[in-house]
Amino acid sequence: MITYHNLLFMLAVLFAVWAVMVRNLLTSAIMLALVSVFAALILFDFNAPWAAVFELSVCAGLITVLFIGGVSLVRGDYERNPESRTAFHALPLALAIFAIAAWFGVPEFFGEIEGWKRMASPEGTIGLALWDQRRPDILGQIVMLAAGVFMIKSIFPKKKQETAAERTTK
Amino acid sequence: MSIFSIDWYFITLLAFTGFYGMLVSRNILRQLIGLEIVSKAAMLAVISAGALTSNLMLAQALIITMIVIEVVVVAVGLALLVKAHRISGSADIWKLDSLKG
Repeated sequence: MITYHNLLFMLAVLFAVWAVMVRNLLTSAIMLALVSVFAALILFDFNAPWAAVFELSVCAGLITVLFIGGVSLVRGDYERNPESRTAFHALPLALAIFAIAAWFGVPEFFGEIEGWKRMASPEGTIGLALWDQRRPDILGQIVMLAAGVFMIKSIFPKKKQETAAERTTK
Repeated sequence: MSIFSIDWYFITLLAFTGFYGMLVSRNILRQLIGLEIVSKAAMLAVISAGALTSNLMLAQALIITMIVIEVVVVAVGLALLVKAHRISGSADIWKLDSLKG
């Protein structure tokens, strides 16, 4: 029976297939945003609103804007030198074969893994988890952001100003 | 069959789609899109495991960290794309061979 929960997963997979298959890069970026939207809905359905809001605002918003910026740069070249579409068109077939093959083993395997679970202690708040239990993660996030900024700075170095002495020597 | 097994079955399909996209395309942008799909699958796996063990708060904290890392990876990947496009005039990974001996 298809529940709302399973339907969200199915739609996320459907839009992911669409994002990979579609020829137009802009449509692909928009389909990826829709995958993020459905992932956020799944997170809401799991009763995880904080993660869902982050997913919706950052992944469906910010990352899509970044991708659209990238698409606007490479679209002309991509249209002039298109890739062979055969492998992309084969995705539904490959996914269907994989899904049918996986159906006979994967759910049983994950069912076995489910038996290994260890229940956590009674839950606190997201603030407690974020600021007390996972405090090093906050530091890691700050370090990651700083590393990203330094990477981008080093990829696009500022052009050195030509000094007057250098101009006279030329 | 439990809800957890079915969730992880769909997560496996999502990860397969992302990996397939990364494997068949030569375009950096499409590979980043594939990577994003795989990271979505990983994120859903974390929250599903958190829900199974009644540890949603910790799972959410981990997902927030994952999202920050994801943004940095995409931003740096796109910066590399811009640089590669300026140097080789293309986003094709096969043309990134200037270090070839």
